Amino acid sequence: MDIKLFKQVILITGISVLCGASFNALRDGGISWLAKPMEKINSTNNIELNIDVPSVREINLETALNLQKNGTLFVDARSEEYLEDGFIPGAINNDDTDALSDEIATLIGFDRGFVIYCSDDDCGSSEDLAYDLQEYGFNNILVFKGGWKTWIESGLDIEYNE
Amino acid sequence: MNKIHPVLILVIRILLGLIFIYASYDKILDPGKFARDISNYHVVPFGLENSIAIILPWLELIIGMGIIFGVYINANTFISGGLLALFIVLIAQAILRGFNIDCGCGLKEGEVVGWSKIVENFLFLGACYIVHQSKSRLLEFYPK
Repeated sequence: MDIKLFKQVILITGISVLCGASFNALRDGGISWLAKPMEKINSTNNIELNIDVPSVREINLETALNLQKNGTLFVDARSEEYLEDGFIPGAINNDDTDALSDEIATLIGFDRGFVIYCSDDDCGSSEDLAYDLQEYGFNNILVFKGGWKTWIESGLDIEYNE
Repeated sequence: MNKIHPVLILVIRILLGLIFIYASYDKILDPGKFARDISNYHVVPFGLENSIAIILPWLELIIGMGIIFGVYINANTFISGGLLALFIVLIAQAILRGFNIDCGCGLKEGEVVGWSKIVENFLFLGACYIVHQSKSRLLEFYPK
């Protein structure tokens, strides 16, 4: 790379950093420069704590199973077509986030905890849906990271649409 | 590349620039979502996905405008080519690791990583190369 090109690349990159940093600092809902890992909770006893601060927290399989047995609402974040293979018993699903939000609000209100899951550890759609629903006013959202894959690999009960 | 008609080079420039500008739009509006998309690739350490999500969309926007308006064309196509090569590698590793994740490319909502995205990025990379190598000065407002 010649010096002229190098200087131009540095200039363009520098302007981008400046614009990005300024916009992030001045806007509502700017993000921190370093991502914080999602808080993990390992016991059902902690589910209803700290809900005065809206939260999205991560749970493991054991906690998810306990919550499912206790009748906690589960939300399947996968696209509807994936539900043909089954879903966690009692889970609800809707590709339309507005409709899903109404359904959750009707079933449990905005402060009770509920669980969102997707395909597996890496799918990401449960986390996206969790933050989308948080913007609708839900305060206590739990993300079951292992998701559907962990659930079926553990041989747990599943349900099918009729 | 000098055999390509200058008007065609200009059309390629405009299309390429618009793609980068369009791709930056949603990411600028929702950097949190973009940071999560980056995180899902499982390649960025130390929580740096947020820093990338703050800067990268602006880089795409500025590159796109530079390519369209003919400002520092060589540098802008050099950076955009580098970014596209990086995106190809990231998407390929995600596919090979079996991740069924949102691409985070910014062109279409909910687009999942797949080989078609790699082909698409190779096409854009080719367009960058053509513009970078071109000697055409049609509607360039600042020297290469």
